[in-house]
Amino acid sequence: MKVVAALLAAAVVLVAVELGMGAWGFGETKTVNPCTARSPSTGDGLDGALQRIVLDGLNGAACELHTTREELVLSLRPSSGQKVKWDSATIERAVRAGLVRAIDAAERRGDVPSFLAPLLREAAQHAPVKFLINGGSRLTDILGSLFP
Amino acid sequence: MRLTLPFATAVALAAAVAVAFSDSSIVVLALPELYFHFKTSIVGVSWVITAYNLVVALGALALIPLVGRFPRAEAASGLVLFLGASLGCGLAWSLPALFTFRCLQGAGAALLLAGSLPILSALTGSAKRGTALWTAAGAVGVAVGPALGGVLTELFDWRAIFFAQAPVAALGIAATIHRHVRTLPERKTSRRGPLTANAALVFLFGAIVGALFLAVLLIVTAWQFTPITGALVVSALPLAGLVTSRLSRSLSVAEGVVSGAVLLAAGLVALALLPESSAAYAVPALAFCGAGFGLAVPPLTRASVDEQDLGRSATLSVGARHIGLVLGLLAIAPVLASTVSTAGEQATTNATKTILDARLPLTKKVPIALAIRDEFDRAQDGAIPDLAKPFEDAGAGDDERVRTAEDQLLTAVRAPLTRSFRPGFAIAALFGAAAALPLLLLRRRRTA
Repeated sequence: MKVVAALLAAAVVLVAVELGMGAWGFGETKTVNPCTARSPSTGDGLDGALQRIVLDGLNGAACELHTTREELVLSLRPSSGQKVKWDSATIERAVRAGLVRAIDAAERRGDVPSFLAPLLREAAQHAPVKFLINGGSRLTDILGSLFP
Repeated sequence: MRLTLPFATAVALAAAVAVAFSDSSIVVLALPELYFHFKTSIVGVSWVITAYNLVVALGALALIPLVGRFPRAEAASGLVLFLGASLGCGLAWSLPALFTFRCLQGAGAALLLAGSLPILSALTGSAKRGTALWTAAGAVGVAVGPALGGVLTELFDWRAIFFAQAPVAALGIAATIHRHVRTLPERKTSRRGPLTANAALVFLFGAIVGALFLAVLLIVTAWQFTPITGALVVSALPLAGLVTSRLSRSLSVAEGVVSGAVLLAAGLVALALLPESSAAYAVPALAFCGAGFGLAVPPLTRASVDEQDLGRSATLSVGARHIGLVLGLLAIAPVLASTVSTAGEQATTNATKTILDARLPLTKKVPIALAIRDEFDRAQDGAIPDLAKPFEDAGAGDDERVRTAEDQLLTAVRAPLTRSFRPGFAIAALFGAAAALPLLLLRRRRTA
Protein backbone atom coordinates (compact mmCIF):
# COMPACT_ATOMS: atom_id res chain seq x y z
CA MET A 1 0.00 0.00 0.00
CA LYS A 2 3.00 2.30 0.64
CA VAL A 3 4.05 1.97 -3.03
CA VAL A 4 0.53 2.88 -4.15
CA ALA A 5 0.51 5.93 -1.85
CA ALA A 6 3.92 6.96 -3.25
CA LEU A 7 2.57 6.62 -6.82
CA LEU A 8 -0.46 8.78 -5.99
CA ALA A 9 1.79 11.41 -4.39
CA ALA A 10 4.09 11.36 -7.45
CA ALA A 11 1.10 11.90 -9.76
CA VAL A 12 0.00 14.91 -7.69
CA VAL A 13 3.57 16.27 -7.83
CA LEU A 14 3.60 15.91 -11.64
CA VAL A 15 0.35 17.90 -11.94
CA ALA A 16 1.74 20.55 -9.53
CA VAL A 17 4.99 20.82 -11.55
CA GLU A 18 2.99 21.21 -14.77
CA LEU A 19 0.89 23.99 -13.26
CA GLY A 20 4.09 25.62 -11.95
CA MET A 21 5.51 25.49 -15.51
CA GLY A 22 2.53 27.54 -16.75
CA ALA A 23 0.30 24.70 -17.96
CA TRP A 24 -2.91 26.64 -17.31
CA GLY A 25 -2.15 29.36 -19.85
CA PHE A 26 -0.20 27.13 -22.29
CA GLY A 27 -1.48 27.33 -25.84
CA GLU A 28 -3.62 30.43 -25.31
CA THR A 29 -3.46 32.83 -28.22
CA LYS A 30 -2.31 36.21 -26.97
CA THR A 31 -3.51 39.01 -29.21
CA VAL A 32 -1.63 42.30 -29.27
CA ASN A 33 -3.39 45.65 -29.59
CA PRO A 34 -2.11 46.95 -32.96
CA CYS A 35 -2.80 50.57 -31.95
CA THR A 36 -0.24 50.44 -29.13
CA ALA A 37 2.05 47.63 -30.34
CA ARG A 38 5.69 48.37 -31.14
CA SER A 39 7.11 46.18 -33.89
CA PRO A 40 9.97 43.95 -32.73
CA SER A 41 13.44 44.33 -34.17
CA THR A 42 13.60 41.98 -37.15
CA GLY A 43 17.14 42.78 -38.24
CA ASP A 44 19.73 45.50 -38.90
CA GLY A 45 20.42 47.89 -41.75
CA LEU A 46 18.07 48.66 -44.58
CA ASP A 47 16.46 45.19 -44.48
CA GLY A 48 15.52 45.62 -40.82
CA ALA A 49 14.23 49.17 -41.47
CA LEU A 50 12.05 48.05 -44.39
CA GLN A 51 10.62 45.14 -42.37
CA ARG A 52 9.82 47.46 -39.48
CA ILE A 53 8.03 49.81 -41.90
CA VAL A 54 5.94 46.92 -43.21
CA LEU A 55 5.12 45.64 -39.71
CA ASP A 56 4.31 49.15 -38.42
CA GLY A 57 2.22 49.71 -41.56
CA LEU A 58 0.26 46.51 -40.95
CA ASN A 59 -0.26 47.48 -37.30
CA GLY A 60 -1.53 50.90 -38.39
CA ALA A 61 -3.92 49.35 -40.92
CA ALA A 62 -5.14 46.76 -38.38
CA CYS A 63 -5.73 49.54 -35.82
CA GLU A 64 -7.76 51.50 -38.37
CA LEU A 65 -9.86 48.42 -39.20
CA HIS A 66 -10.26 47.43 -35.49
CA THR A 67 -8.66 44.03 -35.98
CA THR A 68 -5.34 42.30 -35.28
CA ARG A 69 -2.31 42.39 -37.56
CA GLU A 70 -2.49 38.59 -38.10
CA GLU A 71 -6.21 38.62 -38.92
CA LEU A 72 -5.58 41.39 -41.43
CA VAL A 73 -2.75 39.48 -43.15
CA LEU A 74 -4.83 36.29 -43.29
CA SER A 75 -7.83 38.16 -44.70
CA LEU A 76 -5.65 39.11 -47.71
CA ARG A 77 -5.81 35.43 -48.69
CA PRO A 78 -9.38 34.05 -49.07
CA SER A 79 -8.01 30.44 -49.14
CA SER A 80 -6.79 30.86 -45.53
CA GLY A 81 -10.39 30.33 -44.42
CA GLN A 82 -10.35 33.64 -42.51
CA LYS A 83 -13.69 35.45 -42.72
CA VAL A 84 -13.14 38.66 -44.71
CA LYS A 85 -14.95 41.48 -42.94
CA TRP A 86 -14.02 44.26 -45.35
CA ASP A 87 -14.00 44.71 -49.11
CA SER A 88 -10.62 44.64 -50.87
CA ALA A 89 -10.68 48.40 -51.52
CA THR A 90 -11.06 49.15 -47.80
CA ILE A 91 -8.19 46.81 -46.90
CA GLU A 92 -5.91 48.22 -49.61
CA ARG A 93 -6.63 51.80 -48.56
CA ALA A 94 -5.95 51.02 -44.88
CA VAL A 95 -2.71 49.13 -45.68
CA ARG A 96 -1.40 51.92 -47.94
CA ALA A 97 -2.25 54.58 -45.32
CA GLY A 98 -0.57 52.51 -42.61
CA LEU A 99 2.57 52.08 -44.72
CA VAL A 100 2.80 55.79 -45.49
CA ARG A 101 2.53 56.63 -41.76
CA ALA A 102 5.20 54.02 -40.99
CA ILE A 103 7.54 55.47 -43.66
CA ASP A 104 7.02 58.97 -42.17
CA ALA A 105 7.93 57.63 -38.72
CA ALA A 106 10.97 55.75 -40.07
CA GLU A 107 12.19 58.93 -41.82
CA ARG A 108 11.80 60.91 -38.57
CA ARG A 109 13.82 58.24 -36.71
CA GLY A 110 16.46 58.30 -39.44
CA ASP A 111 15.99 54.61 -40.22
CA VAL A 112 15.83 55.20 -44.00
CA PRO A 113 18.02 57.56 -46.07
CA SER A 114 16.13 60.81 -46.84
CA PHE A 115 16.41 60.28 -50.64
CA LEU A 116 14.71 56.88 -50.32
CA ALA A 117 11.71 57.96 -48.20
CA PRO A 118 9.79 59.69 -51.07
CA LEU A 119 10.37 56.66 -53.33
CA LEU A 120 9.05 54.30 -50.68
CA ARG A 121 6.08 56.59 -50.01
CA GLU A 122 5.31 56.67 -53.74
CA ALA A 123 5.51 52.85 -53.92
CA ALA A 124 3.30 52.46 -50.84
CA GLN A 125 0.65 54.76 -52.32
CA HIS A 126 0.53 53.43 -55.88
CA ALA A 127 2.37 50.12 -56.43
CA PRO A 128 0.34 46.86 -56.67
CA VAL A 129 0.40 44.90 -53.40
CA LYS A 130 2.05 41.87 -55.11
CA PHE A 131 4.86 44.12 -56.31
CA LEU A 132 5.36 45.42 -52.77
CA ILE A 133 5.88 41.88 -51.47
CA ASN A 134 8.14 40.53 -54.23
CA GLY A 135 9.80 43.87 -54.95
CA GLY A 136 10.56 44.39 -51.27
CA SER A 137 12.82 41.38 -51.08
CA ARG A 138 14.52 42.21 -54.39
CA LEU A 139 14.97 45.86 -53.38
CA THR A 140 16.82 44.82 -50.22
CA ASP A 141 19.00 42.51 -52.34
CA ILE A 142 20.08 45.46 -54.46
CA LEU A 143 20.14 48.20 -51.82
CA GLY A 144 21.48 45.91 -49.09
CA SER A 145 24.77 45.60 -50.97
CA LEU A 146 24.96 49.42 -51.30
CA PHE A 147 23.87 50.25 -47.69
CA PRO A 148 24.91 47.21 -45.54
CA MET B 1 7.24 -24.41 -16.24
CA ARG B 2 7.06 -27.61 -18.32
CA LEU B 3 5.72 -27.09 -21.83
CA THR B 4 2.84 -29.57 -22.08
CA LEU B 5 0.44 -29.87 -25.00
CA PRO B 6 -2.55 -28.47 -23.07
CA PHE B 7 -0.39 -25.56 -21.87
CA ALA B 8 0.83 -24.80 -25.42
CA THR B 9 -2.79 -25.03 -26.62
CA ALA B 10 -3.85 -22.64 -23.84
CA VAL B 11 -1.10 -20.16 -24.81
CA ALA B 12 -2.17 -20.27 -28.48
CA LEU B 13 -5.79 -19.59 -27.51
CA ALA B 14 -4.73 -16.86 -25.05
CA ALA B 15 -2.77 -15.19 -27.88
CA ALA B 16 -5.96 -15.13 -29.97
CA VAL B 17 -7.85 -13.66 -26.97
CA ALA B 18 -5.11 -10.99 -26.60
CA VAL B 19 -5.48 -10.11 -30.31
CA ALA B 20 -9.28 -9.83 -29.97
CA PHE B 21 -8.84 -7.50 -26.97
CA SER B 22 -6.03 -5.58 -28.70
CA ASP B 23 -8.32 -4.85 -31.65
CA SER B 24 -10.07 -2.32 -29.41
CA SER B 25 -6.99 -0.13 -29.61
CA ILE B 26 -4.54 -1.61 -32.16
CA VAL B 27 -5.68 0.74 -34.93
CA VAL B 28 -5.17 3.87 -32.81
CA LEU B 29 -1.66 4.68 -34.13
CA ALA B 30 -2.85 4.01 -37.68
CA LEU B 31 -5.74 6.50 -37.33
CA PRO B 32 -3.77 9.43 -38.84
CA GLU B 33 -2.89 7.25 -41.85
CA LEU B 34 -6.53 6.09 -42.20
CA TYR B 35 -7.66 9.72 -41.77
CA PHE B 36 -5.59 10.82 -44.77
CA HIS B 37 -6.01 7.62 -46.82
CA PHE B 38 -9.83 7.78 -46.74
CA LYS B 39 -10.00 11.61 -46.49
CA THR B 40 -12.47 11.44 -43.59
CA SER B 41 -13.06 13.42 -40.37
CA ILE B 42 -11.87 12.80 -36.78
CA VAL B 43 -15.33 11.51 -35.84
CA GLY B 44 -15.42 9.39 -39.03
CA VAL B 45 -12.05 7.79 -38.38
CA SER B 46 -12.92 7.18 -34.71
CA TRP B 47 -15.68 4.83 -35.94
CA VAL B 48 -13.01 2.40 -37.15
CA ILE B 49 -12.48 1.73 -33.43
CA THR B 50 -16.02 2.44 -32.22
CA ALA B 51 -17.69 0.05 -34.72
CA TYR B 52 -15.56 -2.88 -33.50
CA ASN B 53 -16.11 -2.15 -29.82
CA LEU B 54 -19.83 -1.53 -30.27
CA VAL B 55 -20.38 -4.89 -32.02
CA VAL B 56 -18.27 -6.72 -29.39
CA ALA B 57 -20.34 -5.07 -26.61
CA LEU B 58 -23.73 -5.77 -28.24
CA GLY B 59 -22.65 -9.25 -29.35
CA ALA B 60 -21.43 -10.17 -25.87
CA LEU B 61 -24.67 -8.98 -24.24
CA ALA B 62 -26.76 -10.86 -26.82
CA LEU B 63 -24.72 -14.03 -26.24
CA ILE B 64 -25.19 -14.10 -22.44
CA PRO B 65 -28.28 -16.40 -22.49
CA LEU B 66 -26.51 -18.81 -24.87
CA VAL B 67 -22.93 -19.02 -23.59
CA GLY B 68 -21.56 -21.91 -21.61
CA ARG B 69 -23.41 -24.61 -23.56
CA PHE B 70 -21.02 -25.00 -26.51
CA PRO B 71 -17.89 -22.98 -25.71
CA ARG B 72 -15.71 -24.81 -28.28
CA ALA B 73 -18.23 -24.15 -31.05
CA GLU B 74 -18.58 -20.50 -29.96
CA ALA B 75 -14.82 -19.90 -29.84
CA ALA B 76 -14.06 -21.79 -33.06
CA SER B 77 -16.83 -20.12 -35.09
CA GLY B 78 -15.81 -16.75 -33.64
CA LEU B 79 -12.19 -17.31 -34.64
CA VAL B 80 -13.15 -18.33 -38.20
CA LEU B 81 -15.28 -15.18 -38.54
CA PHE B 82 -12.52 -13.09 -36.96
CA LEU B 83 -9.89 -14.49 -39.33
CA GLY B 84 -12.00 -13.85 -42.44
CA ALA B 85 -12.96 -10.36 -41.29
CA SER B 86 -9.32 -9.49 -40.47
CA LEU B 87 -8.30 -10.37 -44.03
CA GLY B 88 -11.28 -8.33 -45.28
CA CYS B 89 -10.15 -5.31 -43.22
CA GLY B 90 -6.65 -5.64 -44.68
CA LEU B 91 -8.08 -5.63 -48.21
CA ALA B 92 -10.72 -2.90 -47.54
CA TRP B 93 -11.12 -0.61 -50.56
CA SER B 94 -13.25 2.08 -48.90
CA LEU B 95 -14.19 3.36 -45.46
CA PRO B 96 -17.69 1.72 -45.54
CA ALA B 97 -16.00 -1.59 -46.49
CA LEU B 98 -13.57 -1.20 -43.59
CA PHE B 99 -16.47 -0.43 -41.20
CA THR B 100 -18.33 -3.55 -42.42
CA PHE B 101 -15.34 -5.86 -41.91
CA ARG B 102 -14.62 -4.25 -38.52
CA CYS B 103 -18.21 -5.07 -37.47
CA LEU B 104 -17.73 -8.69 -38.61
CA GLN B 105 -14.43 -8.77 -36.70
CA GLY B 106 -16.31 -7.53 -33.62
CA ALA B 107 -18.95 -10.28 -33.99
CA GLY B 108 -16.19 -12.90 -34.26
CA ALA B 109 -14.39 -11.43 -31.24
CA ALA B 110 -17.61 -11.48 -29.16
CA LEU B 111 -18.04 -15.22 -29.90
CA LEU B 112 -14.36 -15.94 -29.21
CA LEU B 113 -14.24 -13.99 -25.94
CA ALA B 114 -17.51 -15.58 -24.77
CA GLY B 115 -16.29 -19.12 -25.39
CA SER B 116 -12.60 -18.81 -24.54
CA LEU B 117 -12.63 -18.59 -20.72
CA PRO B 118 -14.24 -22.01 -20.07
CA ILE B 119 -11.79 -23.54 -22.57
CA LEU B 120 -8.77 -21.86 -20.95
CA SER B 121 -9.99 -23.03 -17.53
CA ALA B 122 -10.24 -26.59 -18.81
CA LEU B 123 -6.79 -26.44 -20.43
CA THR B 124 -5.08 -24.98 -17.36
CA GLY B 125 -6.90 -27.30 -14.98
CA SER B 126 -8.75 -24.72 -12.87
CA ALA B 127 -11.06 -21.76 -13.23
CA LYS B 128 -8.64 -19.61 -11.22
CA ARG B 129 -5.67 -20.27 -13.53
CA GLY B 130 -7.86 -19.96 -16.61
CA THR B 131 -9.21 -16.60 -15.40
CA ALA B 132 -5.67 -15.40 -14.61
CA LEU B 133 -4.49 -16.29 -18.14
CA TRP B 134 -7.59 -14.75 -19.75
CA THR B 135 -7.16 -11.55 -17.66
CA ALA B 136 -3.47 -11.30 -18.52
CA ALA B 137 -4.22 -11.82 -22.23
CA GLY B 138 -6.90 -9.09 -22.09
CA ALA B 139 -4.71 -6.57 -20.25
CA VAL B 140 -1.69 -7.19 -22.50
CA GLY B 141 -3.88 -7.00 -25.61
CA VAL B 142 -5.51 -3.66 -24.76
CA ALA B 143 -2.28 -2.08 -23.54
CA VAL B 144 0.20 -3.37 -26.14
CA GLY B 145 -2.20 -2.95 -29.07
CA PRO B 146 -1.39 0.67 -29.96
CA ALA B 147 2.40 0.17 -29.86
CA LEU B 148 2.16 -2.96 -32.02
CA GLY B 149 -0.15 -1.19 -34.47
CA GLY B 150 2.24 1.76 -34.63
CA VAL B 151 5.24 -0.42 -35.45
CA LEU B 152 3.33 -2.33 -38.16
CA THR B 153 1.99 0.92 -39.65
CA GLU B 154 5.45 2.47 -39.93
CA LEU B 155 7.24 -0.67 -41.15
CA PHE B 156 4.53 -1.57 -43.69
CA ASP B 157 1.18 0.30 -43.64
CA TRP B 158 -2.16 0.19 -41.82
CA ARG B 159 -3.29 -2.92 -43.73
CA ALA B 160 -0.45 -4.93 -42.12
CA ILE B 161 -2.20 -4.54 -38.73
CA PHE B 162 -5.08 -6.70 -39.96
CA PHE B 163 -3.05 -9.21 -42.00
CA ALA B 164 -0.82 -9.84 -38.95
CA GLN B 165 -3.86 -10.97 -36.93
CA ALA B 166 -4.81 -13.78 -39.34
CA PRO B 167 -2.06 -16.30 -38.36
CA VAL B 168 -2.77 -15.77 -34.64
CA ALA B 169 -6.47 -16.42 -35.27
CA ALA B 170 -5.56 -19.56 -37.30
CA LEU B 171 -3.46 -20.85 -34.37
CA GLY B 172 -6.40 -20.14 -32.09
CA ILE B 173 -8.69 -22.23 -34.33
CA ALA B 174 -6.23 -25.13 -34.19
CA ALA B 175 -6.07 -24.81 -30.38
CA THR B 176 -9.85 -24.67 -29.98
CA ILE B 177 -10.64 -27.75 -32.04
CA HIS B 178 -7.84 -29.80 -30.45
CA ARG B 179 -8.97 -33.05 -28.81
CA HIS B 180 -7.43 -32.00 -25.44
CA VAL B 181 -10.11 -29.38 -25.05
CA ARG B 182 -12.81 -30.59 -22.67
CA THR B 183 -14.80 -27.89 -20.88
CA LEU B 184 -16.12 -28.19 -17.32
CA PRO B 185 -19.85 -28.18 -16.54
CA GLU B 186 -21.19 -24.81 -15.34
CA ARG B 187 -23.89 -23.61 -12.94
CA LYS B 188 -25.81 -20.43 -13.50
CA THR B 189 -25.63 -18.12 -10.48
CA SER B 190 -26.65 -14.59 -9.67
CA ARG B 191 -24.41 -12.38 -7.55
CA ARG B 192 -24.43 -8.70 -6.86
CA GLY B 193 -20.64 -8.31 -6.88
CA PRO B 194 -20.13 -8.78 -10.63
CA LEU B 195 -22.63 -6.00 -11.35
CA THR B 196 -20.62 -3.49 -9.30
CA ALA B 197 -17.35 -4.71 -10.79
CA ASN B 198 -18.79 -4.51 -14.31
CA ALA B 199 -20.04 -0.97 -13.70
CA ALA B 200 -16.50 0.00 -12.63
CA LEU B 201 -15.07 -1.74 -15.74
CA VAL B 202 -17.34 0.37 -17.98
CA PHE B 203 -15.82 3.61 -16.63
CA LEU B 204 -12.27 2.26 -16.45
CA PHE B 205 -12.24 1.17 -20.10
CA GLY B 206 -13.91 4.44 -21.14
CA ALA B 207 -11.00 6.27 -19.50
CA ILE B 208 -8.26 4.06 -20.97
CA VAL B 209 -9.55 4.36 -24.54
CA GLY B 210 -9.55 8.13 -23.99
CA ALA B 211 -5.93 8.01 -22.86
CA LEU B 212 -4.83 5.88 -25.81
CA PHE B 213 -6.96 7.52 -28.54
CA LEU B 214 -6.14 11.09 -27.50
CA ALA B 215 -2.47 10.51 -26.66
CA VAL B 216 -1.77 8.83 -29.98
CA LEU B 217 -3.55 11.50 -32.03
CA LEU B 218 -1.73 14.22 -30.08
CA ILE B 219 1.70 12.64 -30.49
CA VAL B 220 1.43 11.55 -34.12
CA THR B 221 -0.82 14.22 -35.64
CA ALA B 222 -0.16 17.39 -33.62
CA TRP B 223 3.48 16.75 -32.65
CA GLN B 224 4.24 14.85 -35.87
CA PHE B 225 6.20 12.03 -34.23
CA THR B 226 6.59 8.93 -36.43
CA PRO B 227 4.33 5.95 -35.53
CA ILE B 228 7.31 4.03 -34.07
CA THR B 229 8.40 6.99 -31.90
CA GLY B 230 4.75 7.46 -30.93
CA ALA B 231 4.59 3.75 -30.03
CA LEU B 232 7.66 4.16 -27.81
CA VAL B 233 6.06 7.11 -25.97
CA VAL B 234 2.71 5.31 -25.56
CA SER B 235 4.53 2.14 -24.37
CA ALA B 236 4.95 3.86 -20.99
CA LEU B 237 1.30 2.97 -20.37
CA PRO B 238 1.44 -0.86 -20.78
CA LEU B 239 4.87 -1.10 -19.15
CA ALA B 240 3.67 0.67 -16.01
CA GLY B 241 0.50 -1.42 -16.11
CA LEU B 242 2.47 -4.67 -16.17
CA VAL B 243 4.49 -3.57 -13.12
CA THR B 244 1.50 -2.51 -11.03
CA SER B 245 -0.69 -5.49 -12.00
CA ARG B 246 1.68 -7.62 -9.84
CA LEU B 247 1.29 -5.10 -7.04
CA SER B 248 -2.50 -5.38 -7.18
CA ARG B 249 -2.36 -8.99 -5.90
CA SER B 250 -1.54 -7.75 -2.39
CA LEU B 251 -4.50 -5.32 -2.38
CA SER B 252 -8.19 -5.89 -1.69
CA VAL B 253 -10.61 -5.32 -4.58
CA ALA B 254 -11.70 -1.95 -3.16
CA GLU B 255 -8.11 -0.80 -2.52
CA GLY B 256 -6.93 -1.83 -5.98
CA VAL B 257 -9.88 -0.31 -7.82
CA VAL B 258 -10.10 2.98 -5.90
CA SER B 259 -6.35 3.67 -5.94
CA GLY B 260 -6.12 2.55 -9.59
CA ALA B 261 -9.03 4.76 -10.65
CA VAL B 262 -7.60 7.80 -8.84
CA LEU B 263 -4.14 7.19 -10.34
CA LEU B 264 -5.60 6.79 -13.84
CA ALA B 265 -7.60 10.01 -13.41
CA ALA B 266 -4.51 11.84 -12.12
CA GLY B 267 -2.49 10.67 -15.14
CA LEU B 268 -5.23 11.95 -17.45
CA VAL B 269 -5.32 15.31 -15.62
CA ALA B 270 -1.53 15.50 -16.11
CA LEU B 271 -2.08 14.87 -19.85
CA ALA B 272 -4.76 17.58 -19.91
CA LEU B 273 -2.36 20.05 -18.27
CA LEU B 274 0.76 19.56 -20.42
CA PRO B 275 2.84 22.75 -20.10
CA GLU B 276 4.62 22.20 -23.43
CA SER B 277 4.38 19.99 -26.52
CA SER B 278 6.92 17.51 -25.24
CA ALA B 279 7.19 13.79 -24.53
CA ALA B 280 9.05 14.67 -21.29
CA TYR B 281 5.69 15.35 -19.61
CA ALA B 282 3.54 12.96 -21.68
CA VAL B 283 5.60 9.85 -20.79
CA PRO B 284 5.24 10.10 -16.96
CA ALA B 285 1.57 11.05 -17.34
CA LEU B 286 0.94 7.98 -19.53
CA ALA B 287 2.89 5.85 -17.04
CA PHE B 288 0.54 6.98 -14.25
CA CYS B 289 -2.46 6.10 -16.46
CA GLY B 290 -0.99 2.63 -17.06
CA ALA B 291 -0.14 2.17 -13.37
CA GLY B 292 -3.74 2.97 -12.43
CA PHE B 293 -5.09 0.62 -15.10
CA GLY B 294 -2.77 -2.16 -13.91
CA LEU B 295 -3.87 -1.72 -10.30
CA ALA B 296 -7.60 -1.71 -11.03
CA VAL B 297 -8.17 -4.27 -13.82
CA PRO B 298 -6.97 -7.55 -12.22
CA PRO B 299 -9.09 -7.21 -9.04
CA LEU B 300 -12.07 -6.03 -11.12
CA THR B 301 -11.74 -9.05 -13.41
CA ARG B 302 -11.54 -11.39 -10.40
CA ALA B 303 -14.64 -9.72 -8.96
CA SER B 304 -16.58 -9.72 -12.23
CA VAL B 305 -15.87 -13.33 -13.24
CA ASP B 306 -17.78 -15.97 -11.28
CA GLU B 307 -15.86 -19.26 -11.21
CA GLN B 308 -19.16 -21.20 -10.97
CA ASP B 309 -20.56 -19.47 -14.04
CA LEU B 310 -17.47 -18.74 -16.11
CA GLY B 311 -18.91 -18.39 -19.60
CA ARG B 312 -21.79 -16.09 -18.70
CA SER B 313 -19.88 -13.89 -16.25
CA ALA B 314 -16.87 -13.57 -18.60
CA THR B 315 -19.18 -12.58 -21.47
CA LEU B 316 -20.84 -9.94 -19.29
CA SER B 317 -17.39 -8.67 -18.30
CA VAL B 318 -16.38 -8.46 -21.98
CA GLY B 319 -19.61 -6.58 -22.74
CA ALA B 320 -18.97 -4.11 -19.88
CA ARG B 321 -15.41 -3.39 -21.06
CA HIS B 322 -16.47 -2.74 -24.63
CA ILE B 323 -19.48 -0.64 -23.61
CA GLY B 324 -16.96 1.50 -21.72
CA LEU B 325 -14.72 1.75 -24.79
CA VAL B 326 -17.67 2.81 -26.94
CA LEU B 327 -18.96 5.35 -24.40
CA GLY B 328 -15.47 6.82 -24.04
CA LEU B 329 -15.07 7.25 -27.79
CA LEU B 330 -18.60 8.61 -28.26
CA ALA B 331 -18.01 11.20 -25.53
CA ILE B 332 -14.49 12.24 -26.55
CA ALA B 333 -14.30 12.15 -30.38
CA PRO B 334 -16.90 14.90 -31.11
CA VAL B 335 -15.42 17.18 -28.43
CA LEU B 336 -11.94 16.72 -29.91
CA ALA B 337 -13.20 17.38 -33.44
CA SER B 338 -14.67 20.70 -32.30
CA THR B 339 -11.68 21.88 -30.24
CA VAL B 340 -9.11 20.86 -32.87
CA SER B 341 -10.97 22.87 -35.50
CA THR B 342 -10.73 26.04 -33.37
CA ALA B 343 -7.10 25.25 -32.50
CA GLY B 344 -6.30 24.97 -36.23
CA GLU B 345 -7.39 28.59 -36.71
CA GLN B 346 -5.32 29.68 -33.69
CA ALA B 347 -2.32 27.77 -35.03
CA THR B 348 -2.62 29.63 -38.35
CA THR B 349 -2.78 32.97 -36.52
CA ASN B 350 0.25 32.01 -34.39
CA ALA B 351 2.18 30.90 -37.48
CA THR B 352 1.44 34.24 -39.17
CA LYS B 353 2.64 36.18 -36.12
CA THR B 354 5.81 34.09 -35.82
CA ILE B 355 6.75 34.53 -39.45
CA LEU B 356 6.05 38.28 -39.43
CA ASP B 357 8.17 38.81 -36.30
CA ALA B 358 10.97 36.35 -37.19
CA ARG B 359 14.48 37.82 -37.17
CA LEU B 360 15.21 36.90 -40.76
CA PRO B 361 16.21 38.96 -43.80
CA LEU B 362 13.43 39.58 -46.31
CA THR B 363 15.25 37.44 -48.87
CA LYS B 364 14.68 34.41 -46.62
CA LYS B 365 11.47 35.49 -44.88
CA VAL B 366 9.36 36.02 -48.02
CA PRO B 367 10.16 32.62 -49.67
CA ILE B 368 9.60 30.85 -46.33
CA ALA B 369 6.25 32.63 -45.80
CA LEU B 370 5.10 31.76 -49.34
CA ALA B 371 6.19 28.09 -48.96
CA ILE B 372 4.39 27.82 -45.60
CA ARG B 373 1.27 29.30 -47.20
CA ASP B 374 1.44 26.52 -49.84
CA GLU B 375 1.93 23.89 -47.12
CA PHE B 376 -1.19 25.14 -45.27
CA ASP B 377 -3.13 25.06 -48.56
CA ARG B 378 -2.04 21.44 -49.04
CA ALA B 379 -3.12 20.66 -45.45
CA GLN B 380 -6.62 21.85 -46.27
CA ASP B 381 -6.75 19.05 -48.85
CA GLY B 382 -6.20 16.53 -46.05
CA ALA B 383 -2.39 16.37 -45.75
CA ILE B 384 -0.32 17.20 -42.67
CA PRO B 385 1.57 20.43 -43.44
CA ASP B 386 5.32 19.80 -43.58
CA LEU B 387 6.37 22.99 -41.82
CA ALA B 388 10.02 21.96 -41.57
CA LYS B 389 10.60 21.74 -45.34
CA PRO B 390 10.39 25.51 -46.15
CA PHE B 391 13.03 26.12 -43.47
CA GLU B 392 15.27 23.33 -44.78
CA ASP B 393 15.00 24.85 -48.27
CA ALA B 394 15.93 28.25 -46.79
CA GLY B 395 19.11 26.80 -45.25
CA ALA B 396 18.09 25.74 -41.72
CA GLY B 397 21.05 23.33 -41.79
CA ASP B 398 23.64 26.14 -41.90
CA ASP B 399 21.78 29.25 -40.72
CA GLU B 400 21.15 29.57 -36.97
CA ARG B 401 18.54 32.33 -37.52
CA VAL B 402 16.48 30.10 -39.85
CA ARG B 403 16.70 27.25 -37.35
CA THR B 404 15.53 29.53 -34.52
CA ALA B 405 12.61 30.76 -36.64
CA GLU B 406 11.68 27.12 -37.43
CA ASP B 407 11.69 26.20 -33.71
CA GLN B 408 9.56 29.24 -32.89
CA LEU B 409 7.06 28.39 -35.63
CA LEU B 410 6.71 24.72 -34.62
CA THR B 411 6.24 25.71 -30.96
CA ALA B 412 3.65 28.35 -31.91
CA VAL B 413 1.67 25.90 -34.06
CA ARG B 414 1.82 22.93 -31.66
CA ALA B 415 0.86 24.86 -28.52
CA PRO B 416 -2.82 25.55 -29.38
CA LEU B 417 -3.18 22.07 -30.91
CA THR B 418 -1.86 20.49 -27.70
CA ARG B 419 -4.20 22.64 -25.62
CA SER B 420 -7.15 21.58 -27.78
CA PHE B 421 -6.80 18.01 -26.41
CA ARG B 422 -7.42 19.31 -22.86
CA PRO B 423 -11.25 18.90 -22.78
CA GLY B 424 -10.95 15.36 -24.19
CA PHE B 425 -8.42 14.33 -21.54
CA ALA B 426 -10.59 15.99 -18.87
CA ILE B 427 -13.61 13.90 -19.96
CA ALA B 428 -11.45 10.75 -19.87
CA ALA B 429 -10.26 11.73 -16.36
CA LEU B 430 -13.91 11.97 -15.25
CA PHE B 431 -14.47 8.45 -16.60
CA GLY B 432 -11.40 7.29 -14.63
CA ALA B 433 -12.56 8.89 -11.38
CA ALA B 434 -16.08 7.51 -11.90
CA ALA B 435 -14.64 3.95 -11.96
CA ALA B 436 -14.11 4.23 -8.20
CA LEU B 437 -17.72 5.25 -7.53
CA PRO B 438 -19.56 1.89 -7.83
CA LEU B 439 -17.24 0.28 -5.27
CA LEU B 440 -17.35 3.24 -2.91
CA LEU B 441 -21.17 3.30 -3.10
CA LEU B 442 -21.37 -0.45 -2.47
CA ARG B 443 -19.02 -0.17 0.52
CA ARG B 444 -21.07 2.71 1.93
CA ARG B 445 -24.29 0.72 1.56
CA ARG B 446 -22.73 -2.25 3.33
CA THR B 447 -21.45 -0.17 6.26
CA ALA B 448 -24.79 1.71 6.56
